[in-house]
Amino acid sequence: MFKGKGKVFALVATFACGIAPQAFAQSQGCVELKSVVETEQEVVNAAGQKTLQRAPANKVVPGSVVIITVTANNICKKPSDNVVINNPVPDHMTYVASTATGQNSDITFSIDGAKFAAPDQLTVSDAGAARKARPDEYRVIRWTFRGALAPGASAVASFRATLN
Amino acid sequence: MKSLRNCALAIAALVGGFGSNRAHALGVPAGTAINNTAQVTYSVGTVNATATSNTVSVTVAEILDVVVTLQTPSVPVSAGDTNQDLVYRVTNTGNGPETFRLVMNSVLAGDQFDPTPSATSIYFDTDNSGDLSPGDTPYVVGSNDPALSADGFVTVLVVNDIPGTVVDGNRGFSRLTADARTGTGTPGTAFAGQGVGGTDAVVGTTGADSEATGEYLVAGVTINAVKSQVVVDQFGGNRPVPGARINYTIVVTATGTGTANTTVFSDNIPANTTYVPGSLQLNTTTLSDVADADAGDFATTPAARVRVALGNLNTAAGSKTITFAVTIN
Repeated sequence: MFKGKGKVFALVATFACGIAPQAFAQSQGCVELKSVVETEQEVVNAAGQKTLQRAPANKVVPGSVVIITVTANNICKKPSDNVVINNPVPDHMTYVASTATGQNSDITFSIDGAKFAAPDQLTVSDAGAARKARPDEYRVIRWTFRGALAPGASAVASFRATLN
Repeated sequence: MKSLRNCALAIAALVGGFGSNRAHALGVPAGTAINNTAQVTYSVGTVNATATSNTVSVTVAEILDVVVTLQTPSVPVSAGDTNQDLVYRVTNTGNGPETFRLVMNSVLAGDQFDPTPSATSIYFDTDNSGDLSPGDTPYVVGSNDPALSADGFVTVLVVNDIPGTVVDGNRGFSRLTADARTGTGTPGTAFAGQGVGGTDAVVGTTGADSEATGEYLVAGVTINAVKSQVVVDQFGGNRPVPGARINYTIVVTATGTGTANTTVFSDNIPANTTYVPGSLQLNTTTLSDVADADAGDFATTPAARVRVALGNLNTAAGSKTITFAVTIN
């Protein structure tokens, strides 16, 4: 049915949304995805200047903020189109409003994982009526990148969340 | 596009649900592991593909926080009373189990006397009676320091004796302090690896210690009764002759900071006189002579006397005026 490299991608497309696709996708795809969680702290250097320094998050205190950064890297020789990164707001965490960033992307949010919309268009049903969703209610964030991801290039998505 | 729509549902299943635990008052339980995985969809030429990221994991650190609250308002006492208790609640307001050390102190500024700690000065209210009773366990520091789960609390009694030299209106303070055994200090101070399950323990906004101060109030009450009489004879004069009437007035007043409960006034009819039936009054309201639902009665056994129930008397209740009359035999 398919010839050459096309065969590999067809397999991925069929199974990707069924059973755990990690084993297929990561070793055979064109885009590798890497996720990092960090905390940010104010550090005062020897000269008394304050800078913000990031470090990997390991043990996190309730009430503190973590920064999640996802990087999509094109490891093939062909461009990848329609790159869309989805990242849930982690369990027990609350999205910090207006902290989602991603160059060259349109960012939308979701409460239920099915309906995604921009902040001023995302609604929830509350006591039978629809109202605008609050940022602390967002559970999934989506970055839809414009244009193609060139071979060897990276697309970066990031946001902050508070540990409840 | 069809493959992407199916993927949306898979995202929900794959990366672990949407339930938020924000209902927990204190924050996420210490030691909880939180995992997060990202997913990307893309296309190469006409073929759609997807990939997932590595799973990142963070562990929730333990927050050390405690609050001590006073459960008893001002406790009324008398000079020389012993084993008088103040009731406190010690609550673990952090997010993990913690053991606390308790200390009491009765030498405080701002009061008129220092309560004297009893031989055993801290007890747990083991039988939940709300005060010191035989079923309560003594606290021995370092031996039975209370271990409380997140949100858990224990009721603690602080016990003092009252010096004999105090006077009505004197206040004496006594304080209970609780601190977290893992550590206390400036909020944010971390004790690496000493939290539940090996996570870090971090001092919370309370500094992991707390105190509350209760007071004993020396509440004395004195009841004064002032009696006066007016003689009215049957001829319009005021000579105490047989047949003349004596009108008695007694004013009862409470002074001091305490309350005399269930006060009853009683006065014998003087020898050689006869009670005038129906003359008994309390604050100008006539009381029936028979013992019934009203406050007063006249009885002849074991001796002739009037009696009036005055209720709980204190300064706020004001004075009570009793009147009755007799005739000279």
